[in-house]
Amino acid sequence: MTHERVYAGVRQVATILVTLFGLLVLTFCIGRLMPVDPVRAIIGEEADAATYRMVAERLGMDKPVYEQFLRYLGDILTGNFGVSIRTGQSVINDIAHVMPATIELATFAIICGAGLGIPLGILAAVRRNRLTDHVIRVVTLLGHSMPIFWIGMIGLIVFYATLGLVGGGGRMSDYNIGLVPETTGFLLIDAALAGDRDVFHDAVNHLVLPASILGYSSMAYITRMTRSFMLDQLNQEYVVTARVKGLSNSRTIWYHAFANIRVQLVTIVALAYGSLLEGAVLIETVFSWPGFGQYMTNNMLVGDMNAVMTCVLIVGIIFICLNLLSDLLYKVFDPRTR
Amino acid sequence: MNVLTKAVAAAMLGTVAFATPSLAETPPNQLVVGFSMSNILTLDPAAITGKETVQVLANIYEGLVSLDPVNRSQANPQLAESWTISEDSSKITFQMRAGAQFASGNPVTAEDVVWSFKRLMKLNLAQASFLKTHGFSAANADASFTTPDPSTIVVTLPKKVDPQIIVLTLGIVGPGSVLDSKTVLANETNGDMGSAWLTTHSAGSGPFVLQDWKSNERVLLNRNDAHWGKEAGMRRIIMRHLPESQSQRLMLEKGDIDIAFSMSAADLTALQTNKEVVVQSIPGSGFYYLAVSMKDEKFNKPKVREALRYLIDYEGLNATVLPFFGKPHDRPIQTGLLGVLPDAGYKLDVEKAKALLAEAGYPEGFATTLRALSDAPFLNLATAIQASLAQGGIKAEVITGSGDQIYGAMRERKFELIVGRGGGGQLPHPDSNLRAIAYNPNNADDAKLTNFQGWRTSFYDEKLNKMIDDALIETDTKRQATRYGEIQTYYADMMPSIQPFSEVVDSVASRADIKGLALNPSWSTDLSTITKAR
Repeated sequence: MTHERVYAGVRQVATILVTLFGLLVLTFCIGRLMPVDPVRAIIGEEADAATYRMVAERLGMDKPVYEQFLRYLGDILTGNFGVSIRTGQSVINDIAHVMPATIELATFAIICGAGLGIPLGILAAVRRNRLTDHVIRVVTLLGHSMPIFWIGMIGLIVFYATLGLVGGGGRMSDYNIGLVPETTGFLLIDAALAGDRDVFHDAVNHLVLPASILGYSSMAYITRMTRSFMLDQLNQEYVVTARVKGLSNSRTIWYHAFANIRVQLVTIVALAYGSLLEGAVLIETVFSWPGFGQYMTNNMLVGDMNAVMTCVLIVGIIFICLNLLSDLLYKVFDPRTR
Repeated sequence: MNVLTKAVAAAMLGTVAFATPSLAETPPNQLVVGFSMSNILTLDPAAITGKETVQVLANIYEGLVSLDPVNRSQANPQLAESWTISEDSSKITFQMRAGAQFASGNPVTAEDVVWSFKRLMKLNLAQASFLKTHGFSAANADASFTTPDPSTIVVTLPKKVDPQIIVLTLGIVGPGSVLDSKTVLANETNGDMGSAWLTTHSAGSGPFVLQDWKSNERVLLNRNDAHWGKEAGMRRIIMRHLPESQSQRLMLEKGDIDIAFSMSAADLTALQTNKEVVVQSIPGSGFYYLAVSMKDEKFNKPKVREALRYLIDYEGLNATVLPFFGKPHDRPIQTGLLGVLPDAGYKLDVEKAKALLAEAGYPEGFATTLRALSDAPFLNLATAIQASLAQGGIKAEVITGSGDQIYGAMRERKFELIVGRGGGGQLPHPDSNLRAIAYNPNNADDAKLTNFQGWRTSFYDEKLNKMIDDALIETDTKRQATRYGEIQTYYADMMPSIQPFSEVVDSVASRADIKGLALNPSWSTDLSTITKAR
């Protein structure tokens, strides 16, 4: 039994390493195939050929592609992720700066998305084909089909520009910039640690709209999936049996049907959270949110491969961690998998 | 189910409860500026590219001279109190201003000035090209920039050019920026002349000092209390990365930002009716143009190029696609510069174009490709030009893409038609336009003179090159103006590869209570003069 566990562990680690290596190779190839020239981004349109050659040599771009890749691999194995062409900073420092902004946004969004999406999905399933179900389905269909970029702009116009209920772009108002030391990078936590209520309140004000819109998009997906899972369960014989036995409706739903969809819900919530961490670029652009998605996209556009490859590596690690977490939760919720 | 319904309602209310009224007015002693900072890659004056970085550094660094925001050909004293040009036009001698100091407290010396120029040439990065064009190089930098005494700088010209163009070049943010050599050298690593440190730090003597730059987030500038000039009106400038034009517009309307530098024509149009916002337009740098590759057999024929000239709807493009960003102009020298001729007045003339195409052997027209950036206004320009070309029988397939895809093809000389923007002009001298758009010293493929658009379009004329060179060494202003007039006439007659149809205009929107905003072409606006009327 112990040997089996060790073997399974080794296999899992090997799978993770192969996955990460594959990701790096794929990203490097895509980066090289993309018609983007990082040297030109640095030297500008007017620079002459001699300057071009000099900067290309400095970046190692004059070397064969395989050599560039091997050099990069060697560097990351020693913990050196390189310097970003676009910011001139260590890539790890850059990511350490932008990641908390995205985690804050994505976490708030997933709380909204899952917090509303799961109950709404259950409600829609329980009231199948009644008015409540129709309303929920229309709301989620809109959330699923409307471009998030457009919802963001409309949200800004209505809640920020017209009603003045929330803050505009950025993580905080200009008059609060620099008032709170960046201890963790998570603005809400930093403001709380500094005991600055105004900054905390301002940060919440700026977070609530982009996070709600991202949350709405996640909610649409989670609601539809929850409804589908619940409908499957409500049609099972054990639910009929439970009702025949005289169990109350809420007890049947929560203790029996819902208990059986928790495992599936964990998976979709984990995947939705992962997508939010790496894919919030449109909302980050609309709301001028200095996050990870925007960082990765902007670097991709100038061919800053050190930064892009490290970002891809991190996205891979995030998804692997979320998968491991959902595997762990499977074991908690489903005794058969232990 | 009541419990469930209540839970949903509670969750919704909880979400809404976070939303509380927010303040929306910038502080009276801080200026908040919004624009896209995606192109800011470094804050080292020797390495910068793009006008956004110029807007930041224009308020941190100073030069020996500064360019006048109104009379573009005039250099005003800045760190130099005065300058003289030797009789044989081979030397420029600058006398330093007394009492100027850097933000660090170090005095600004002639040594700092000379060190900054030598550093520029030795690093040989983007901004060195301004001086390399006129013969300066890393090899001759020591001889070209000297300081005979602590308050005098002598610039010796490596080759014969109009000294005025060198004076103007030293007024440009980047090549002309003077750095605090002691501070920079204290932060040097591996002989990089402080380049890595200067990426995110400043060492200037301007009215503001860099507090913090977070890439794609913000730039914070604090007032430099050691500045020798009039104290800046604002204690702090907050520059915010706002990539979306509509976000800039909403925040400007709301009063969350004071100035928006990079808005779309649609948003600027919408703001014109808002009394709390003022929209200003000033001449920018360069032109919008239609370029052909003369490597292409069809476009190598002068009649075809002439036909294209009459298949551009000059009025229509400027009226519908380019409001706020361009104004009609068909000469290769910008308005306001020495010797510029009045427009030739080309107009869309389909019949004339058809006749010219028939004469060239294409009575039925031909098929070609037209490249354009996928951003505004290039895509709209390409679509409009595609339509007017079609009237003459030229079926142009529009290819859109990023800068590397479009200008990359031009640099590789592998294109047919391009709608582009460029042509120098950051340096307010006719030579800057002509050298960028028409000059080509070597038309060989392996010359790789990608910095000359003449080379990119395979446009080569020895006589024109000589005319441009001769005009630059003419020291008599009147005669020089005449020469530039002759060049424009000659250029027009030879059916060039690049036909400008508009000159670039920069448009900026600001809150109405912002006073003292004097926009400077090329985004080098001095923000220290700004106050708020509240």
